[in-house]
Amino acid sequence: MEFKLEAHRIVSISLGKIYNSRVQRGGIKLHKNLLVSLVLRSARQVYLSDPCPGLYLAGHPGAPAPPQQPEESAAGPPAGWGEPPPPAGRAAWPEPEPQPERPAVPEVLRAGDSEPAATVTAAGDTLQGGEAEAPEAAWRRVEGPRETAVGGAGGPAEVSGVFPEGPEAARGPCGCPPGDEDKLSAAPRVDGCRASRPAAAEPPASPPVCARKRGAGWVGGGPADCPAPGSTPLKKPRRNSEEQPGGAAAAAEEEEEEEEMETGNVANLISIFGSSFSGLLRKSPGGGREEAEGEESGPEAAEPGQICCDKPVLRDINPWSTAIVAF
Amino acid sequence: CFFLLFSPIVPRDRHAVWASRKFTSPTDIISTVEFNHTGELLATGDKGGRVVIFQREQESKNQVHRRGEYNVYSTFQSHEPEFDYLKSLEIEEKINKIRWLPQQNAAYFLLSTNDKTVKLWKVSERDKRPEGYNLKDEEGRLRDPATITTLRVPVLRPMDLMVEATPRRVFANAHTYHINSISVNSDYETYMSADDLRINLWNFEITNQSFNIVDIKPANMEELTEVITAAEFHPHHCNTFVYSSSKGTIRLCDMRASALCDRHTKFFEEPEDPSNRSFFSEIISSISDVKFSHSGRCIMTRDYLTVKVWDLNMENRPVETYQVHDYLRSKLCSLYENDCIFDKFECVWNGSDSVIMTGSYNNFFRMFDRNTKRDVTLEASRENSKPRAILKPRKVCVGGKRRKDEISVDSLDFSKKILHTAWHPSENIIAVAATNNLYIFQDKVN
Repeated sequence: MEFKLEAHRIVSISLGKIYNSRVQRGGIKLHKNLLVSLVLRSARQVYLSDPCPGLYLAGHPGAPAPPQQPEESAAGPPAGWGEPPPPAGRAAWPEPEPQPERPAVPEVLRAGDSEPAATVTAAGDTLQGGEAEAPEAAWRRVEGPRETAVGGAGGPAEVSGVFPEGPEAARGPCGCPPGDEDKLSAAPRVDGCRASRPAAAEPPASPPVCARKRGAGWVGGGPADCPAPGSTPLKKPRRNSEEQPGGAAAAAEEEEEEEEMETGNVANLISIFGSSFSGLLRKSPGGGREEAEGEESGPEAAEPGQICCDKPVLRDINPWSTAIVAF
Repeated sequence: CFFLLFSPIVPRDRHAVWASRKFTSPTDIISTVEFNHTGELLATGDKGGRVVIFQREQESKNQVHRRGEYNVYSTFQSHEPEFDYLKSLEIEEKINKIRWLPQQNAAYFLLSTNDKTVKLWKVSERDKRPEGYNLKDEEGRLRDPATITTLRVPVLRPMDLMVEATPRRVFANAHTYHINSISVNSDYETYMSADDLRINLWNFEITNQSFNIVDIKPANMEELTEVITAAEFHPHHCNTFVYSSSKGTIRLCDMRASALCDRHTKFFEEPEDPSNRSFFSEIISSISDVKFSHSGRCIMTRDYLTVKVWDLNMENRPVETYQVHDYLRSKLCSLYENDCIFDKFECVWNGSDSVIMTGSYNNFFRMFDRNTKRDVTLEASRENSKPRAILKPRKVCVGGKRRKDEISVDSLDFSKKILHTAWHPSENIIAVAATNNLYIFQDKVN
């Protein structure tokens, strides 16, 4: 759990930095925001990968990503992280993802075979291994499904991309060699067994589910309990949910195709108080509009400490915006 | 042995050597330091857009003990804050880099840049003035021609030395992103300016256009994964330059290969050590500075925790790696919180490429002797730097028992950082910028 709290902290710190960057003199610094977005992505992956009952209901059992074996990860505990909790203490692994998501998966897989395959491996790497390419992998994962998926299928593309194997890949808690505790990667595992859970590689799907509830927990610092299984309807994760991390900085410039160092998107991403996310989400047809609209009301209702999960629009909000709303 | 001591500190406040400033304005923070090609002049730029140039005193028989002292030579406002109304962006006046041109006549020329605009400044001396005009009097007032009865030839008479700086060229509107580097080419006719995503090549004589020679902006900005962090021309080959990235890679490009050097000639990257992986791995691998050696055979790069020397002929790993302050590796999360992890340290070679120097925190700076593999940590502070005092090596205690003169990692002052240093091109004289103070040290000569 310590990692989860640490990840919370890093995510909120990162969001704060992005927010502050919009008011800094000299305009938004692309380099710094890019780095912050990479950290944000890593922290988010860790945070979302934390075992939590029901967390992975949002995942897809048919997802093709092969989780790498824990022993493949080689990184030691990242700096600033505490000791990983003993795997024995892990809660029971969640059941495989609910069936309703299944139909979407094959569509997406058909839609973009090559990309999801790439992202699958990448996602697997990100969570399982200590690959240096984790952030790049995450990037690929973002871009691939977005390019290949169509409309709502974009979400599951990312989701499915992460689950090459189904629940079969899941091993019981502590099924991993003890040595894994020491192996942490860019997305350090909270416990050595996390790697074994296919659902663990499912950040894209989980955010809409967990981030919502987590919003309150985040701000209040309370226990980051995940929503009960099935209690939160899962919307197809937005493609944009993955775009945001990179978009955080990159999107600072994304709006303008011409030579404009437009920082409106970064401001949008972190704008807690009312700006729409339209800029960031604009890239995604359909989904973007919905989210933009959703976001309009989201921030307005956001007060630190408030739980916003009663708002139906939150379903559509990607994890970034949800976090910000709650923040 | 190594670095020693030294002669007076030259503070930014030129009025008194030991004047202690009660209120230090944030605009006084030094943002760049650069010796000229002979080492006679030392230029500093600050956050307020000012450039202060120091000149080395000539040796004189009368004042032997003042040999080599640097005193203020010229001060001028290079850049002013600007506001881009179209984008609602304020453009900081902070001087990001200064680069000298080689001297070709009596005047000195330097390039100074802020985030968006590069300027070529001419610094020249005037020590004579014409006197004895016919049509105007000594105060410059026009005389009534009817009152002129005789004609005389104006003569030049000595006057107090006046150093004037004039902007000769302004190279503007060529960068969408923030300029991080400028580099004068060895042909002395061109120079390049690099921002986060592009590098432009300029001719000194032409201000209304530049060539774009590197463009790493992706078609879709959401695919952005790295930015350009520094760039420099090869010291001898005017067709060759390098640029570093936020991903810890260096690309060497040859302008003869194509007009747009998006495809590198050489690609330098060291595989990451997976055991060091953390959330902040990307940040600490981002290269903050890249410098060619004087010989042109090596490049040196600085990332957050290390300095690396690369041989141009070996792309897969550096030939030397020096740990600057590895004790910070366990503190990366805190350094991320207080933004210190984003500090961009520079690195410099000495004239013979045998010693490299870079800054750290707590006003410490480090030197590494490449031949003996010895290193030293020194501190730039007023208390430790009385004139002709000897700089004492410092040591950071990493764990366990702290010895008497050691300082523990937790006691380090992270607000006192040395980001900018410079080394005289031929002598062992170094300039170290500690926030708003400039320290100049030289090897003790008996």
